[in-house]
Amino acid sequence: MADAYDAGSAARHGPEEEPQDAPAVIVPVVVSSPTPATPATPPASPSPEPRTGVAALSLRYQIGAALALAVVAIAVCVHIGMVFLHVAPPNTVTKQHGKAIDDWIYPEFEQNWKLFAPNPLQQNIAVQVRAQVGTADGGTRTTGWYDLSAQDGRAIDGNLLPSHTQQNELRRAWDFFVATHDAQNRPVGLRGALSETYLRRIVQLRLDRANAAGDGGVVERVQVRSRTTNVRPPKWSDEQVSDKPTYRVLPWWWVPEEGAGSADGNDAVGGTAAADEAEGGAR
Amino acid sequence: MNRFALAISSGIARVTESALGPYQTAVIRIGFTATWLLFLLREFPHRQELYGPDGPWDLDLAQQLIGTNGSFTALMWSGSRFWFESVYALAVLTSVLLLLGWRTRTMSVLFMVGVLSLQNRSIFMGDGGDNVLHLMCLYLVFTRCGQVWSLDERRARLAREAHARGERIGPDRVGPALWSVLGFVLVAVTAAGRLDGDLTVPVILWGIWLGQAVWWIVGRRARTAQPRILLDVVGNIVHNGALLVIMAEACLIYATAGWYKIQGSRWQDGTAVYYPLHLDYFSPWPALADVLSSSGTMVMLITYGTVVVQVAFPFTLFNRRVKNVLLAAMITEHAVIAIVLGLPFFSLAMIAADAVFLPTSFLRRLGEWAARARGRLSRLVRRDDDPAARPEPRTPENPEHAHVGSQA
Repeated sequence: MADAYDAGSAARHGPEEEPQDAPAVIVPVVVSSPTPATPATPPASPSPEPRTGVAALSLRYQIGAALALAVVAIAVCVHIGMVFLHVAPPNTVTKQHGKAIDDWIYPEFEQNWKLFAPNPLQQNIAVQVRAQVGTADGGTRTTGWYDLSAQDGRAIDGNLLPSHTQQNELRRAWDFFVATHDAQNRPVGLRGALSETYLRRIVQLRLDRANAAGDGGVVERVQVRSRTTNVRPPKWSDEQVSDKPTYRVLPWWWVPEEGAGSADGNDAVGGTAAADEAEGGAR
Repeated sequence: MNRFALAISSGIARVTESALGPYQTAVIRIGFTATWLLFLLREFPHRQELYGPDGPWDLDLAQQLIGTNGSFTALMWSGSRFWFESVYALAVLTSVLLLLGWRTRTMSVLFMVGVLSLQNRSIFMGDGGDNVLHLMCLYLVFTRCGQVWSLDERRARLAREAHARGERIGPDRVGPALWSVLGFVLVAVTAAGRLDGDLTVPVILWGIWLGQAVWWIVGRRARTAQPRILLDVVGNIVHNGALLVIMAEACLIYATAGWYKIQGSRWQDGTAVYYPLHLDYFSPWPALADVLSSSGTMVMLITYGTVVVQVAFPFTLFNRRVKNVLLAAMITEHAVIAIVLGLPFFSLAMIAADAVFLPTSFLRRLGEWAARARGRLSRLVRRDDDPAARPEPRTPENPEHAHVGSQA
């Protein structure tokens, strides 16, 4: 793009047009244009608005136009090729040139179109949270589990315009957490640490809204778990799936005191910064 | 061989002498800006939670992630509430102005800044619809998407008419003013090191800004028509290149979605569509979902149909009639998805992307219809407050068919 404009601005410095050259040089580029609709000839048009197109340009300007065309054509081909390789399955070319493709695509052209593919999700994954609350009288109590995904589901029910806060926020935060943690719930890289802080902040927000701490209470620790239930197979199908939910229970997390939030985040990240180096391009 | 050379030269003539698809680029401009505008208005009550400095994905988290990928977002320039509200308001305003086609090129850049600023600030809030808008706002910048159905087109037409009547038209003051203000901001932001991340967006910002300067200088100062024609040609080439990228992107979306589905066992056994309908996050109307999935045969037909349409679409571009049939099918499916799966903004964005393939004749009819509807509406309004109503409404939507309004 910038190149295209450079081509344009280069022309500005070009020499003045020599009209007597024009008819002679039109010929080589627009060699007998087959579209008769194109008024390919007289530059000496009587109309006040001069006609457009390469045909109206002298040779020097035609070279500028050809240059612009070449640059744009190459940029378009490269871009489409890069996007194709980015969305294609891993293959010989992406294995050899993965770095070049990632450099071109990230961050602004990142995309993922595996929409409900290869298989649609066949489980309802509910994210639930409970809190340990320090009460006003100095004791502690543990709340019951809040099913935050069920709250989201109820908010979406009968809703023509579900909000991203209901449909994406918690769901994607959990996906992000799962993708950046191992089976023992240990974070992998910077993104793992970020996802923990993010998930914790979301559940805190939701506990606040539910007034889980009660009057005078303070949420000291939170615990998150996911409850995964198979979608019941269609009734015309003879498939059998378990209808028992499975749980993934995360450890209790301390909630940083007001104002200490960012320090906590940095601590979590400090230990894993090195691991992130390796992860960099692989996101 | 000669025929090959002929095809090449006619192809070159085509892509240089005009910005192709004026109606298609205008309709996607309107489609994407409307989608984003409606989204911003819908999320207005939730804006702090989604993108605000104190939302769950707070400034610190965003800072750390952006530190690793360098993506562009003006929201990181300041953590103040006021700045956030300003950017959100700017995103709304630029959507409206680009939708109307006022100073289209400049607004397309600001629209891009708005979309990227909000989306890159909180990337885990988005879904496929946001992803479509993210890409398309970048591509839209390179198109001449205000050739029809825009205030720019209207202004140019009025100027032409005034010129034809022999009236003198004063120089444009708004354009240079806008350019100067934005240039000042661009220089300041660059000097402050706020554009030190990934190069894509800074290159676009500077490229367009300098390009507009060159355009203006050449338009006023050039002694011959040649430089201006060259710039026009370059503009056409860039537009046509971007249009091709937009179309290729839409094809890649469908091809990816389709080809990956083919590999999935649920899409093979014909039950795939049943499952999203029974996910809590995508079933706003459980009763409707039950009706839709009551027949196994029906679900299987929809499942197979979806895959066939998505995989086939890019290939049908070689046949106008088949393409249009599939286009209608896809737009219908997205309209259904909007309601049944509760994905209105994703569906709107996809329909806007589909619209780039709509035939010109259909779009012109759409434009005439819109102009007529508007004419009728304005007459109705006028009749209420003024019996001596203006006889004929202006129809900037359709310059070539300006007479239509009077027929209605």
